[in-house]
Amino acid sequence: MQAFSVRHLLGIKDINPKDIETIFETADNFKDVLNRPIKKVPSLRDITIANIFFENSTRTRLSFELAEKRLSADTINFSSSNSSVKKGETLVDTVNNILAMKVDMVVMRHSSPGAPHFLSRHINANIINAGDGTHEHPTQALLDAYSIREKLGEVAGKKVAIIGDILHSRVALSNIFCLQKLGAEVMVCGPITLLPKHISSLGVKVELDVKKALQWCDVANVLRIQLERQQIKYFPSLREYSLYYGINKQLLDQLGKSIVIMHPGPINRGVELNSDVADSEHSIILHQVENGVAIRMAVLYLLAGTK
Amino acid sequence: MSILFKSLRFVAEGEVKEASDFLYDGKSVKKTTEEQLPDRFTTVDCTGFLGSRGWVDLRCLASEPGMEFRETIASLCEGLRVSGFTEAVLMPNTVPVVQSKNEVAYIQQKSQAMFPTLHVQAAVTKDTAGEDFTEMIDLSHYGVKIFGDGIHPLANSDRFMKALQYLQKFGGILFDHSYDPLLALFGQMHEGIVSTKLGMKGIPGLAEEMAIQKNLSILKYTGGTLHLQAISTAKSVDLIRKAKEEGLSVTADVSLYQLLFTDKDLVSFDTALKVLPPFREEVDRVALMEGLKDGTIDALVSNHIPLDFDAKHSEFDLAAFGMIGLQTFAPGLAMLEKELGWPLLIQKITDGPRGVLGRRSEEWDSLTIFDPEETWYFDQNNNVSLSANSPWFNRQLKGRVKFVINKGKFSQHL
Repeated sequence: MQAFSVRHLLGIKDINPKDIETIFETADNFKDVLNRPIKKVPSLRDITIANIFFENSTRTRLSFELAEKRLSADTINFSSSNSSVKKGETLVDTVNNILAMKVDMVVMRHSSPGAPHFLSRHINANIINAGDGTHEHPTQALLDAYSIREKLGEVAGKKVAIIGDILHSRVALSNIFCLQKLGAEVMVCGPITLLPKHISSLGVKVELDVKKALQWCDVANVLRIQLERQQIKYFPSLREYSLYYGINKQLLDQLGKSIVIMHPGPINRGVELNSDVADSEHSIILHQVENGVAIRMAVLYLLAGTK
Repeated sequence: MSILFKSLRFVAEGEVKEASDFLYDGKSVKKTTEEQLPDRFTTVDCTGFLGSRGWVDLRCLASEPGMEFRETIASLCEGLRVSGFTEAVLMPNTVPVVQSKNEVAYIQQKSQAMFPTLHVQAAVTKDTAGEDFTEMIDLSHYGVKIFGDGIHPLANSDRFMKALQYLQKFGGILFDHSYDPLLALFGQMHEGIVSTKLGMKGIPGLAEEMAIQKNLSILKYTGGTLHLQAISTAKSVDLIRKAKEEGLSVTADVSLYQLLFTDKDLVSFDTALKVLPPFREEVDRVALMEGLKDGTIDALVSNHIPLDFDAKHSEFDLAAFGMIGLQTFAPGLAMLEKELGWPLLIQKITDGPRGVLGRRSEEWDSLTIFDPEETWYFDQNNNVSLSANSPWFNRQLKGRVKFVINKGKFSQHL
């Protein structure tokens, strides 16, 4: 097994390009496994993994669960929408429960930035951040970059535009860190109120016109409008957003070149992405989902080896 | 009781004076010679120690009544005593808020026999909600001269104007921690490169600067006396500097810990460093120190906000803002000594804050003596606060207060 520089996957910020390459190479092997008639390997037998989701999730939770089952790990699941319990108490109590259950790994999604860092200071298990508020979503960034690599051969030198609600997006931040570590050029595009004021300090290009962004890029990673994270008004209406930032087939046809369309899901069809794009030959959205399992298998496998 | 402090270096009038002998006769402190000594006295060797008039803190919170599990008036007074403070201004953010004769009398009665002298600050608006005024003139008859909403800004421009006008009847001072709450809404830390990398909602410097600019314009219009608390940005320092040059009656303070951290220290999501105003950038830290040097900023404050374990032991965005700052104050000064020097640091906790309170008396009825070199370990064995929300808790520190005198009361810490 190749060396991994961290015990936890808290964010892309904390890992180096070599770690990412190691994850990709390991995922290549697991992708082969997933295409076999018998899709299961005994790599994580006797390892117990807790999937703790304090925020709603469909594909990330399923993807992790499937990855864990394919690796023969024992899994337990906990979901809470936090509707009736004060969030801080829940996490502290959960920490204590995890300590008592003696699990080996924890996959956690939480609405607070830094929640997995808090967890990592209090428990001994390996922790994988499955999304912490508006901070990071490292496995999504890894599977996005892996999907670009698969589609275009390599990530280095490619131009990737991340379009939409950058301010509330953990996917955007992790993607920026990951793509830059792999040598890609990154642009962010969206209404200026949904772009963090200091985003250009991360070394990304900033574009307010979606047509120009599409013209510039090889890959457009279109983000979901995070209505649930918008506590205050950032733009007038979804109608106006879809008119000026939504991507449809007509827009893509005007480019005079072929670009790759990605989306971390779930899609607000007709808002940020029209069905004639989401379901078109440009789209690799379902490949992202498929690659997600292989990437998560790789991350689980590599972290288990850091004990 | 007479005490001879031998070989003590006094810090006053902008310099560290040569070591001399000082006699405390039970009332005041005076430089002395062998011929002037009384028949009976106790000698204390102060070689290596520094002394000054008693220290004054313009911003600290007691949490009593209402949240006695965080800090009581007694525990706060004990904290002030062992930390070298002989006077302190309390914030009114208790439950209930300090806003009527009852609360004022409660604090005055509770603190009467305590070591430090407490100055009660009453809320300027009821429940510190920024709307209806408290009965300021009536409260002034009970000794309250300072009005402000403590940890909350008085953001309503109309109320700010009227408060500055109304207080002029009895020479009251409006204390305000100015920032625009709408621009700071949901903010968790300073808005900048670090908050962007952490995906954290930021509190822009603009939130403070706009409020200070607006409040200084109101002050120019109304007259009155304004003290701006816990300023944190370079632009704020500039604004106050210009206002002072224009002759406005404005003073300002900065939290000591604001000079010891920047937003970069928050990368590990350490809730002990979640404070308001938030730690800003190096350029702001440097500008704050310049502001202290050129007299724009009058005082250093502890901004002591005690919080219980659960209020801080949580995810960053759910944790409360605040840090305790009394016992770590002398070590904090020692950390800044190289950059600012003892004469300036001491001036900002003695004559500076006394000037803010309008007391420029030369009477030496208080004294603080500290050892800038003593190392000690700050932990539960010596923490006198009921809270421990400090990034220096369970850490070794350098600099410790040794003796404090206040109005005939003597305190010795070995």
